[in-house]
Amino acid sequence: MKRLEARHWTFIGLFLTIGITMLLNFRLDIPVSDRTRVLYDYIEQLPSGSTLIVSFDHEASSVPEIRPIALSILRHAFKKGHKLIGVALLAEGTLIGYRLMRQTAEEYGRVYGADYVYLGFRPQYIAAILSMGKSIRETYPQDYRGNDYDSLPMLRGIENYSDIAGVLSIADGSLTTHWIEYGRGRFDIPVAAGVTAAMVTTYDPYVASGQLDAMVGGLRGAAEYEQLIAREGGGIRGMLAQSSAHVYVVVLIIIGNIIHFASRRRRAA
Amino acid sequence: MARRIPLAVCFLSGLVMFAVYFSSHPVAEVINLSVPIYWQIVFAFTLIIGVISYAKNNLNAIRRRQDRPYRMVSLLGFAAMPIAAAVWGIKADTPFIWIFENIQVPMQSTVFALLAFFVASASFRGFRARSLPAGVLLVTALLVLMSRTPLGNVIEYLPDAADWLREFPSMSARRAILVGIGLGSLTTSLRVIIGIERTWLGGEK
Repeated sequence: MKRLEARHWTFIGLFLTIGITMLLNFRLDIPVSDRTRVLYDYIEQLPSGSTLIVSFDHEASSVPEIRPIALSILRHAFKKGHKLIGVALLAEGTLIGYRLMRQTAEEYGRVYGADYVYLGFRPQYIAAILSMGKSIRETYPQDYRGNDYDSLPMLRGIENYSDIAGVLSIADGSLTTHWIEYGRGRFDIPVAAGVTAAMVTTYDPYVASGQLDAMVGGLRGAAEYEQLIAREGGGIRGMLAQSSAHVYVVVLIIIGNIIHFASRRRRAA
Repeated sequence: MARRIPLAVCFLSGLVMFAVYFSSHPVAEVINLSVPIYWQIVFAFTLIIGVISYAKNNLNAIRRRQDRPYRMVSLLGFAAMPIAAAVWGIKADTPFIWIFENIQVPMQSTVFALLAFFVASASFRGFRARSLPAGVLLVTALLVLMSRTPLGNVIEYLPDAADWLREFPSMSARRAILVGIGLGSLTTSLRVIIGIERTWLGGEK
């Protein structure tokens, strides 16, 4: 049998660390950050029945991280009685978004067509955002299920962004930037986001400048949001795996540096 | 002529779109909001070109016996999805949705999750304080990482230190990059509109 190398042991160590932590299933104390509270307050303070666009701007690969974020935001919005319009700027996010909306709508007894609709995907995200600014009806003559726009009671009287309270972009990449640049910049529609942890620093300048009204980032953000709405959706449990992996990486970095300095001293001697 | 016409179309389109963006005239508004519809149609055609090119490349490689099994699997998936969509539709409980939910999503999530193992291995082997800049980077990474763990709740100033790093040094660097990207995009766009930058036309002449 081939001898295991250092990297193989690091892989095994990571697998065991996450596996054991998940099996022990202890509860992490995750304080709610001000940033997550801003998004919560934004949805909370909107008058009940406000219409929001939820844009699923992500691919299938990020579902484990995106799902808890989306679930928390959708649950909160449905609980508050807001009307939701689902769209997708990436083809892969279309079905995932539809399933998430349907699942959360059923949990709160919301009816398709009256409380929420799902319009689906349109190619070329910038063009899609801009053309919805002119007319959502013209951009989406039919919804994802094939119903005519005008046959859906919720959409009567909704023509463009001026009839929408805000956009919630659920993203794993830079697509929220286009909502900021074209949706907010051109049509002055408030934009908030739920993004993967890797994208948080990308959007920090937009949050600081007020161009992005609110942002929840990564599994930690999802876990914090779950505490605010008092309902778990995978974020708190996901944080268990993520935190244990982070601790493991920190330990590896420290060990690696101890080895580095010890071998340097040995060479110098 | 073959180059002059596209250059003229590009120049006029760029000029008109630039002008109408800043105009509130009703005609400008109509142009501004109608063009994205055509943009979507043009984009749909570019997808067709992509599909043809992808199939052609893989078929040629199969003929040359280059990575045959992988390319065959790739083409099989490439053909299976549209066939499933055309025959059974894309509504719930159809083969298209089953393939997406039970093959594509788990496979992509798995590949993405593998990154964690490579990050762990790379951080052990590569994240070492070999010089002062590397040391600064190391300390920064450790602070941010530890602030995201339960240690962040134990050590009082850890989250504050990580937040400071994100909100000042990191954000100023990010802003500089964003401004640079913006200026770069502006310059490149101007070069394309004016006709100085012609690589998009293809060829050397």
